[in-house]
Amino acid sequence: MQILQYVINGIALGSVYALISTGFSLIFNVLKFSNFSHGALMTFSAFTGYFVAAANGWGLVPTILAAAATGSLVALAGEFVAFRRILIRNTSPIYFFVSSITLGTLFEGIVVLQVGANFYNYPRFFGKPLKLAGLVISQSDIIIFCISAFVLVVLALVIQKTRLGRALRSVSFDRDTASLMGIDVTRSIQFAFIISGALAGLAGVFLGINYTLYPTLGSLVVKGFIASVIGGLGSLPGAVIGAMLLGIVETTLISTIGSGYAPVFTFLIMLVFLLVRPRGIAGSNIQEKA
Amino acid sequence: MALLKVEHIYKSFGGVKAIQDFSIEANRGEIHGIIGPNGAGKTTIFNVISGIYPADEGKVLLDGKDITRMEQHLISREGMGRTFQNIRLFKGLSVLDNTMCAFDPRSRYGVPGSLLPLPKRYAEEKRGREICMGYLKMVGLESYAQEKPENMSYGYRRRLEIARALTCEPKVLLLDEPAAGLNPVEVGELTELILRLSRELGFAILLIEHRLELVMNISQIIHVQNFGKTIASGTPGQVRSDPGVIEAYLGKEEC
Repeated sequence: MQILQYVINGIALGSVYALISTGFSLIFNVLKFSNFSHGALMTFSAFTGYFVAAANGWGLVPTILAAAATGSLVALAGEFVAFRRILIRNTSPIYFFVSSITLGTLFEGIVVLQVGANFYNYPRFFGKPLKLAGLVISQSDIIIFCISAFVLVVLALVIQKTRLGRALRSVSFDRDTASLMGIDVTRSIQFAFIISGALAGLAGVFLGINYTLYPTLGSLVVKGFIASVIGGLGSLPGAVIGAMLLGIVETTLISTIGSGYAPVFTFLIMLVFLLVRPRGIAGSNIQEKA
Repeated sequence: MALLKVEHIYKSFGGVKAIQDFSIEANRGEIHGIIGPNGAGKTTIFNVISGIYPADEGKVLLDGKDITRMEQHLISREGMGRTFQNIRLFKGLSVLDNTMCAFDPRSRYGVPGSLLPLPKRYAEEKRGREICMGYLKMVGLESYAQEKPENMSYGYRRRLEIARALTCEPKVLLLDEPAAGLNPVEVGELTELILRLSRELGFAILLIEHRLELVMNISQIIHVQNFGKTIASGTPGQVRSDPGVIEAYLGKEEC
């Protein structure tokens, strides 16, 4: 029974990690670099959601929408300001790193300037946990899981079944060829940033609900990064699988060896994966380095 | 009017003059061969025409429209289809999806249709699938639609590249060494395919090829490039007897 409890808590946590790792992988796919501004974007959007909606007493849905919209718009603007020129000039991917770290620092700086180093709490959106046959399931976990699952399924369908998804996949494989076949590569990249930003906003709100809101909340992006490494960098299904596994392992570890040592072991797992199976569970033969 | 008119284009990379004063005029139904030793600038000509790099000088007109400085994807939409020397298919996408990518500009639904399951999306996807299956059928790959290109033979991958280029509804089709890596039987099939497409679809074809027998057989006009310069152009018969061409290919006769 205890194990089942860990699995349930783990899946709930994993679904948030899945949002992070998917958003992260989307950008990795199209531009072949790890977008380190993703975490700060989560913080920024989560705080915007807080001040625009939650602080005015609006419910969960407006908060999520506000955060997701902020995430999309800011990611889109970020693409234009920080990445477009590098892409057009076809210069070394190292500049993407520099740009993304700079952008992340900027977002985080704005948050700190606005809110100071204080902790904020979302209002209680949910009622009491449900008890079911000896298992305790919090309502927030259920709602978070359902929303995340819904969003990820819709995303999977869009990527598999529509022209936007097809364009995105062709751009991920080969930008130049895609554009020679008439695909507007800039549009596809913008689309990837919009989706990734929306996922960041959503994940930010959920993290804020699970923990609290604080300016360095974005450092939890590392969990998304670990999940995508475990699952296979660049693979979206892999990112989801990795995130679920990470969530389950983490909740189990926290309950058994305590929250102090748990991160040590999660990082060890990532290192083992990098040593033994660097392309991750579902990864293909991607040569680019993260 | 000529479908493709290239007027005196020049392209240099640093000190290397890859193209010097190249011109061509290709009409509907014509097949032009471009031949020359390695490094003669043949692929660079294709890259300039399809917009990968802009020409330093000169003009490229597609069906009367100046496309010299246009972006690649817009040139493609004007009616420029091409294949690549080193096959560049989208790995991981099915054969059908590879061609569907080139159908993207002709799809008539946008972001809302992609995010929401509107009827328009299903209708457009169906229309796209039917059109793309038509092109796959034209190159003889209709029964491999769900296959992954990396599991197919080299010859089939070449055909798939051609089908994908056809999906762009080209007025001009650029084929960059379509016979490279094919066995003699496959070369024969490819020759027939190119001739049939040229007859049925009536576009202009530019063909870069090392296999002289293929080029000589199917092209009406041949342009011979050497060190970036056109050293001869004319019918296969004229080119074959041109002393400059013989020198470039076989070396100078020593007395």
